Amino acid sequence: MTHALLGRILVFLALSAAASGAVVALAGGRAPSDGRTRLGRALAAAFAWSTILAAATMIIALLEHDFSVKYVAQVGSRETPTVITIVSLWSSLEGSILFWAAVLGLYTLGWLRASRDLAHEDPRADSTLGVILAVGAFFTLLIASVANPFLDTPPPVPMNGPGPNPLLQNHPLMIIHPPMLYLGYVGMTVPFAMAVAALLGGRVGPDWTRSLRRWMLIPWAFLTAGILLGGRWAYDVLGWGGYWGWDPVENASFLPWLSATTFIHASMLEERRGLFRGWAMVLVLVTFALTVLGTFMTRSGVFNSVHSFTQSPIGPLFLGFLALVVMGSVVLLSARVHALAPGQPLRSPLSREGAFIVNNLLFVVFTFAVLLGTTYPLLAEALRGTKVSVGGPFFSDFAVPLGIAITFLMGIGPALPWGRATFADVGRALAVPAAGGVLTAVAFYAAGIDHAATLLALAGAGFAIVVALRDMGAPVLARRRSRGEGLGTALVGTLRRTRRRVGGQLVHVGVALAIGAIAISSTYQVQAEGVLRPGQALDIGRYHLMLEGTRNVRDPHRQRQIADFTIYDGAEKVGVLSPAMNRYATAMNPIGTPDVRSTADHDLYVSLMHIDRGEVGLRAFINPGVSWVWIGGAVMLLGALVAMWPARRRAPTPVAAEAPAAAGGGA
Amino acid sequence: MTAATEQGAKRGGGVSWPVLLVGLAIVSPLLWILASGIGKDPHDIASPLIDKPAPAFALRTVEGDREVTLDSLRGKPVVLNFFSTWCVPCEQEHPALLAASRAFGDRAAFVGIVFEDTRDAVTRWLDRHGGRGYPVLIDVGGPAAIAYGVYGVPETFIIDGGGTIRQKFKGAVDFGTIRAALEEVR
Repeated sequence: MTHALLGRILVFLALSAAASGAVVALAGGRAPSDGRTRLGRALAAAFAWSTILAAATMIIALLEHDFSVKYVAQVGSRETPTVITIVSLWSSLEGSILFWAAVLGLYTLGWLRASRDLAHEDPRADSTLGVILAVGAFFTLLIASVANPFLDTPPPVPMNGPGPNPLLQNHPLMIIHPPMLYLGYVGMTVPFAMAVAALLGGRVGPDWTRSLRRWMLIPWAFLTAGILLGGRWAYDVLGWGGYWGWDPVENASFLPWLSATTFIHASMLEERRGLFRGWAMVLVLVTFALTVLGTFMTRSGVFNSVHSFTQSPIGPLFLGFLALVVMGSVVLLSARVHALAPGQPLRSPLSREGAFIVNNLLFVVFTFAVLLGTTYPLLAEALRGTKVSVGGPFFSDFAVPLGIAITFLMGIGPALPWGRATFADVGRALAVPAAGGVLTAVAFYAAGIDHAATLLALAGAGFAIVVALRDMGAPVLARRRSRGEGLGTALVGTLRRTRRRVGGQLVHVGVALAIGAIAISSTYQVQAEGVLRPGQALDIGRYHLMLEGTRNVRDPHRQRQIADFTIYDGAEKVGVLSPAMNRYATAMNPIGTPDVRSTADHDLYVSLMHIDRGEVGLRAFINPGVSWVWIGGAVMLLGALVAMWPARRRAPTPVAAEAPAAAGGGA
Repeated sequence: MTAATEQGAKRGGGVSWPVLLVGLAIVSPLLWILASGIGKDPHDIASPLIDKPAPAFALRTVEGDREVTLDSLRGKPVVLNFFSTWCVPCEQEHPALLAASRAFGDRAAFVGIVFEDTRDAVTRWLDRHGGRGYPVLIDVGGPAAIAYGVYGVPETFIIDGGGTIRQKFKGAVDFGTIRAALEEVR
């Protein structure tokens, strides 16, 4: 059997299993029966394995350079390195949707495993599976109809292909950045399905909320990693010296991240106080809708971006799916939201609940503003027929104040008690962190930072970090005092009991570090440009960049023109930077590879503009603090990992697999 | 999804109208905006230069033997093609441009302008791709490309006999496109 035929059969199997499984499982959620549950789960497993095997078939076809498969003829090439050949799976539209379906297959298997004990007791588990499979049916329908990568190449079958998109070949991060985002996007299907199931069943409850949050944390962590890697990729490849440009597709990944973050906080209110039950569900539905919107943005060709694939009939289909999701969500909410038992009223605004509510408000405003800025060009064209582009300044105008407010709140929230606090309590709780914030600002001022908003952001970051450290450290010290244990034992014992809180606070520390770094790097960048011949030099800040010469390197799939610079820091030689211009056979324009010299304090970033008969046009940047964006991001991921780590010796029921938080808890 | 939704509505007591109306008020405009963008190419930004006087240029040919100015071409429509040797679509369109210059050379002037490239590379490229049927100019430092707002190569401008830009094409052009464009400006 040919790869193409095998692939088409698997896609067809996946589609039929998903469609029939969705009907069976949704029916089982409505009128529970053991038979429906079993059949639904069996069909779900069939769907999952079919999609995974279909993706595997495509990878094999790519590796064997089987150009009789249309997708391989489109993106494959014998000259492409093996790793790049494998990741070609998601380098183009059809393959990326196949990969998408396979990731949903993996999540489906995860859900099947996690809900195996629950499935026969709680009809919401069936409904959840039904919704997951309905989403799966849509994606496999896309593959089977308009985006089928397994079509036969019309004869004659070529001997070789053009290779994947050069951007994919140009940087190793392209190997992991897209799958991280896909794992984030696709993973939002599970919490969405759980929220729909809760609304259908008219019941949420702390157990379901906890489990929902766990299922949200997984894609949230992947999305965080995906966004960070995307920023790093932009920094390493695009050559304009920055890591974030408010590009529509960057926004597309940031939007669900914002709403998911909002949910993670709202869910703690819901879990602990029974407050805002419906609101937390709204946030889950919104998050999923935003991931579909994000996919639409990258796949429809409607938005202008470095990321977009070309125009295709898939745009209208995605829009239809998005319409179904948002309209269905609104109708479902309006019909069922009152069925969720109302929670207790808020007792006092001066409490952790109050801080959470302000947090939610800020995040929602942030999300709305980003959404508005992203879609405004379309709106302007629809209403006035003019092309506009919304640039960085629009976004910075609200992102800076909101970001600073959120940073401070990140410290205030965890310092306040649940229920009700007096002003005296608040004063006591915040005195030390406030001093930490002031000290941070003073220290940076002494180091030469005098930009007001930057100092404010740094003060907020210092404040939040002190709160987070105290929140993590205090229970350890208390345990040590009360039980007379050693510091190590107390640390391990406390960590075991307060994993979720420690994870949450680590995320806060990471966010604070990243925000401080973003504030500094966006206000104190130094830039210089020049055209040099060998032997000439460009000065930037304290650096002296001497062009030694240029050379050409020919790889099988590209030609690289490299310029070598010797870097002097004052009079001392500190290293060599070799930025390059790469030309790919399939690309119209050359793609640059900037070179960066990173230190804890700042990056020296050199990017070629053009290179031509020994003459080199370059742009150099000094980007202060950028390393701390990545360090902060790594701390965030570590925190997410700590919070998600499965509890030991707990009942195996996955839906209640989360240890009850000892007290409070960030995240 | 729809099945689930209907099911929910049936079992619930009644519909919460405020939630429904507020929800629809938020999502409907969003969907409408997104729908309005379908089928339009965001990269297809109409050049602000269309129907404006073509920026003047005075550039030397690749051979270096003479200077060509836009003014000297007045009176006839001009097909102005920006290209590079390192661009694949430029290779694809080159035969069509040569054929068009042979077919319509009597009533229109064809001019190529090299974008970010070297004289030697262009000479070799032209020899390899069917020679030169019309003057090819070197744009040292790129003032012409900047004046015409060239974003990526190839880009082709159709200028009428009065020196006004009438059309702009991004990407490779074919024989039919050039013929249709020239018929329009005549």
